[in-house]
Formats: sequence, structure tokens, C-alpha cells
Amino acid sequence: MGIVITQWDAVSPFGTGRDAFTEGLWSGASPTAALDPEQWPAPPDPHACLVPDFSPRQALGKGTRVMDRVTALAAVAVGRLLEGTDEPAPDAPEQTGLVLGTTTGSVQSMTDFTRESLQGARPFYVDPARMPNTVMNCAAGQCAIRYRLRGPNATVAGGRAAGLLALSYQRRLMGCGRARKVVCGAAEEFSVTRSWLEHHARPVGAGPVLLGEGCAVLLSEDAPSGPALAELLAVRSQVYHGEDPADALRQVTLRTLVSAGVGADEVWAVSPSCPPGPAGETERAVLADLFGPGALQRLPQLPFGDTGAASAAFQLVSVLSALDRVPEAAGRPAVVSSVDRDGTVACAVLRLGERHSAARPPRG
Amino acid sequence: MSTGAVVDPSPAGRRRVVVTGVGVLSSIGIGAADFADALREGRSGVRPISVFDTKGFEYDNGCEVVGFDPAGWIRTLDLEELGKASQFSVAAARMAVEDAGLPVERLRDEPVLVSVGTTDGEAYDLDRLVQAELDGGPEAYDRVAVRRVSPLRLSTAVAQELGLRQAEASTVATACSAGNYAIGSGLDAIRSGEVDVALCGGADAMCRKTFTGFYRLGTIAPDRCRPFDVDRKGILTGEGAGLLVLEELGSALRRGARIYAEILGCGLSCDAFHPVAPNQAGVARCIRLALRDAGVTPDQVDLISAHGTGTKHNDVTESMAIREVYGEQPPRTVSLKSMLGHSMGAASALGAIGCALAITHGFIPPTINHERTDPECAIDCVPNTSVEADLRIVQNNGMAFGGTNAVVVLGKYR
Repeated sequence: MGIVITQWDAVSPFGTGRDAFTEGLWSGASPTAALDPEQWPAPPDPHACLVPDFSPRQALGKGTRVMDRVTALAAVAVGRLLEGTDEPAPDAPEQTGLVLGTTTGSVQSMTDFTRESLQGARPFYVDPARMPNTVMNCAAGQCAIRYRLRGPNATVAGGRAAGLLALSYQRRLMGCGRARKVVCGAAEEFSVTRSWLEHHARPVGAGPVLLGEGCAVLLSEDAPSGPALAELLAVRSQVYHGEDPADALRQVTLRTLVSAGVGADEVWAVSPSCPPGPAGETERAVLADLFGPGALQRLPQLPFGDTGAASAAFQLVSVLSALDRVPEAAGRPAVVSSVDRDGTVACAVLRLGERHSAARPPRG
Repeated sequence: MSTGAVVDPSPAGRRRVVVTGVGVLSSIGIGAADFADALREGRSGVRPISVFDTKGFEYDNGCEVVGFDPAGWIRTLDLEELGKASQFSVAAARMAVEDAGLPVERLRDEPVLVSVGTTDGEAYDLDRLVQAELDGGPEAYDRVAVRRVSPLRLSTAVAQELGLRQAEASTVATACSAGNYAIGSGLDAIRSGEVDVALCGGADAMCRKTFTGFYRLGTIAPDRCRPFDVDRKGILTGEGAGLLVLEELGSALRRGARIYAEILGCGLSCDAFHPVAPNQAGVARCIRLALRDAGVTPDQVDLISAHGTGTKHNDVTESMAIREVYGEQPPRTVSLKSMLGHSMGAASALGAIGCALAITHGFIPPTINHERTDPECAIDCVPNTSVEADLRIVQNNGMAFGGTNAVVVLGKYR
């Protein structure tokens, strides 16, 4: 048996935790809400899909004065994931690794730091405690400190495909014996600066900018102690050239299926990434052609808007959530697809476990 | 092989990985030959910062790349669509592939891993967007600049420029150890049999944000960077890119490639201790992991290329960690940052290239600007002048914010 996923958790616009995610997703709830203009001044679009009532302090309590939102989202998700799991001894050579996908860390933290420097009476009147927030691996480092994760600690900047690129990185770490247990996922925060960047980066005619946020994480083990939620059969990514991802997406999907030893007709469900603009239609057309329209309709579509780096990670956990809702999903292969506008297409093939995921051991 | 590939952990049973090409953009030299000369001479890359306005800072030295013409290396992509860090990364990758004597056509339809480490991605562009916003509001963001800021571009653009149709591109954003993380990723992808060739390294462009942060932390040196010196005052921010062609040994031998060095192993770990300060036990553990992965013992190591930032805290902690692993007589330990400044995500990649060149050409680069070794950093840092040496095994350290450590071990190919 290869790499086995034994837990997942999420902080999403449906709320904190796995149950909130599953309930919200499968009940067809819509988490889009008007932004509070005091907390989020002058965004290009007045709506977003935020994690409800989320703030670092509310979620994590003390020690969060300078913690930014993406770090807190990751810290909450990773903390929930690891509750009740065994912690390796500090001197054990094999430690738990962490691989976290991102777009560009917290673009709000990065630009706020520069704003402060440009606007202050002196250019170095900036808050030194916030300096680490301006570096893209801040969230991964903070999670390591909070949960004593001493294994490899990687941050993979992968845009919307970050969750799959992180999974690919994780598979390599585990395959080469650098970690036997890895927390892998991706996080993205909402911010006004991110909205404006998205607003300007969108293809013309892609519609209004509805942004979402959150963090989804998986725990993978090579010698699982608990029941398997899914086995990671294969994950691949590929660069595409020019504006049209269709050929590359078809190729990478077929190559991943071959690696996984799974035929397209065996696949129970396909989760598309639904990028905004024409790329979204292209993706759907390629996948429908490969798998038939039925496989694309078995999972509810994620209603979070554009969740940036968290996109593919949310797709992964939406597949895993099917185990709680759809008995016939058990034992079947599922595909997660991703198209990132900066030049990457990616695909993962999982085989869902035989057991209902509610068999998770009790917390604490 | 694509999933759960279990790689034989013993050095005897696994595929070997060698460095067959290097691409260098640095403040002390461009290209392998110039960089090797600079390291041997102990050249200094220090000059006043010109890439952003330093008005109001009391001192403003840095280590910029000068004399770089991106159009000489980037022939397919539109330069306007690439940020400075991506330009560095793409140019260094082209240079590395040419240096390796690898026909690009061969790579076009084979699986290749492109892994580029970075600290700041395109923060240089973000800084400029902030300035534009302060002048004209966020409506004034330049659309072309906005499209440049994704750090994923640092790696995807390499594959696009070279026309690599089956490349997996990944940008590793583990701050200042990112170059070594990327090399580790390439090592694993070749060992596991997924690819025969990987283009790995790191790139960063100097930016106001990071200079300001280190300045505010009191860790920018007023004039020069003096690692391990009792009077050291901190880092100088730098920039550049180092890309390596990593190749499976059999592939390199079949085409008669020149082999700079072998990548023997790497260690990856996290201190899980402090957001910015390194931890002695954590660094020592990472070194041990790397040596174990490489299948070598401490007495076999001839040279250490230190992270060696030149801050009070780093240099003491790192030299203590080295002594913890190596005992009272550690190998000679040099800091290339004395010459290059701190090129952030490129730093450990340029360090690894420096190690490979030192092995090839038989010398130890010096730690320049050195007057008196700090008694708390009890190592021989090879002050100011390079020395001839037959190097068989060399260790390259990378440490980062978040306590994220990565150590790569290189050896002479035998």
C-alpha cells in the first residue's frame, strides 16, 4: 500500500471543522455574505465568502497580537487535524512533516509592511514583530512551533493548484523516507489587497471578483495506525504553454490515470477547479470528455468563490467528505483536477476508503 | 513512478545524482567561470543600493546584480510579463542548461522537475504596486505588474521559456533555505526514478520590504558583511539566482557530460522553536540527517559552506551546532555571504554551486572582510584568502525563518 490519508480537517466559509464543511457542502448552503465595511474598507466587490466570525484572537486566544489571518487559518486547521494523534519524541529521527500550499503568503502582510515604511516619518518605523509575517513560510513555521512539528517544513507556492503541488511534494518526501507522517494542505486568506490584485489580474469579462478563504489539511501516513480514508494513487502536474490549458490538462490527467492504474471509466467522481473565465469552461469540457458528464455531477460544487491557494485543498476534502454522505463512494477512485492561470495544470487520483470516516478515533 | 515510490535508503542501492550544469547570477559574477573566479579571488559584491529609494535609512549598502542583460538569455517569453525574480530564475536556468551541454530539444518531451526556491517571490513588484496605490489608489494598479506577482511564475516561466512540455514546476517558498529545499526535491525526484533531469535552485530580487525588515530588526550591517568576526554587525541584503542541472549519473555518463560534483544527500527539518532565531539543537539535527542521508561520517567532511549570515546570533548558533556534530576540530567553515551578501532564496543554491565549483577546481573560497574571529565562533573560516584544497565531501547549510533548515551534502564524483 502506498500513501494513505487518515484524517482531514478544514476551516472554511462554512465554519470551523470537518462537520461544518461537510454539512454546508452537502446541504447546498451559500456562504456568500456582504463584507463589513469597517473591517474591510473599500474592496472592489462588496461580497466575499469569509470564514464566519474568524479572527486570530477569537480562534486561538493569547499570543496572536501580530498573527495574520492566513497563519491563524492554518494554525486552527492543523491544530484540529492533529488533536488526538501521537506526537513523536523530540529526538526521534522520523518527525512529522508539514507541507503547506500558498499563493504568496499573506499579500496583505507583505504590502502593509511596505505601506508602513513608505508612509512613516522614518522609513524604518515598521513593527519588527510583523516582519516574519511578510515571508511566505510564516504560516508553516508558526504551525511547526505550535504543534512541535520537527520534520521537513515546506511551503509550496502554487496558486490554485497549490494543494496538489503540495501533495506531490509530500509524496516525494514520504517516498524517499524523509517523513513517515505528513500534514499537507493549503491556506488562503481574504484581504482587501488580495481582492484588488485579483480584480486587476482577471481576464476581461471574467465577471465580478468573489473571493473565498480558508484552509484544508490532510494527514498522510505510510504505515497508518487508523482506518484509511483514501489512498493517494497518483498525483502529477504539468506546465502549459500559451493561454489554452486544454491539451496539457488532458495529457496530465491521462498520465496520472496511467500512473494510478485506473481507467477513466472506473472513476466515480471528478472535482474540477472551476477557474474563472474561459479556463473554467475549458476544464469542464476536457473532463466531461474524458470521464463523461456523470462523474462531474457526483460532488456538490464548492460555493466559496475563488479560494486561491486553498482551492485544490478544498477540492480534495470535498472528495473525502463524500465518504460521510454517499455509501457507493466507498472503495471507488476519484479525481481532483486543477488549472492555475499562471501556467500549471495538475491532477490527483485517490481511491476512497472502505470505511465511513466517522470511525475517526475520539478526540483528546 | 508516481506514487508511494519507496526508494532504497541505502546509498549503495539508489540512483546517483550529479551536477552537470550551473547557472549563476550574483553580485560577484555571472556564469560559472566568472563566479568561480570571484570566489577564488574573494571578490566583494557590496555597493550602494540602487533598486529602491533608500532615503531616510542611515546606511544603504547591498549586493545587487549588475551587468545582467535579461534579453541575452530570455528569448521566448515577453520580458514585460516576468518580474525581476522570474527573470533571474529563467536566465539562470537557460545558462545552466547551456552549461550542461544539454540540448533543450532532448528535454522538451521528457519529464523534468523544475523546482525554484524563493524568499520573496516578486515582492519587488509588490513594493512598486504599493507605491502606485499610495499615489493613485488601488484602481491604479498596473495590470501587467499584477500578473507578474505570483511566485509560481519563478518555476513555470522556466519551463515555458525552455519549451519543456512535460515539466512539473514547483516554487518552494521556504524563505532563506529554499534553494537547498529545491535541490532536495530534485534529488528525490531523480532518486525515485520519476525524472532523469531536474532544474533546481533559487532566485530572489532585492526589495524594499525585506531590507526594511532586517534594518528594523537591527541586523543590517552598516558597511560590509563580516561573518564569524568579533565585530560583525549583520547581513547585507543581496539578490540573484543559482540554478543547477541535476542529472541521473547514468544519463550524464552516457552523453559524456562534465560532472561538477555529486549530490550525496540532504537533510530537511524544522526547529519548531522560534519564528526568526535559529536553534542549535535543531541545526545540529538537520546536519546529522543530511550526513546520514549521504552515507558519510563527520570525519569524512572536508569543508562546510555555512549559512553564515554575519549576524551575532546566527554565527554563534551555527558554529556551536557544527561543533556539536563535528567535535573540537570541525572542518573549515566558510561564509560565501561575506562576498555575495544574503541573496535570500538564492543563497543556499548559490552556496551549493560554490561548493560544486570548489570541488571541481580544488580550492576553498574565503570568508572575506575578516579581521578577528569571534571566540564564540571557534571555527577556521579561511579568512580573506582562498586556499588550494582537494575536496572530496562538502556540506552546504541553509537555515531560514520559521526554523526551517536544509543541508545538502556534495561530493567529488568518483
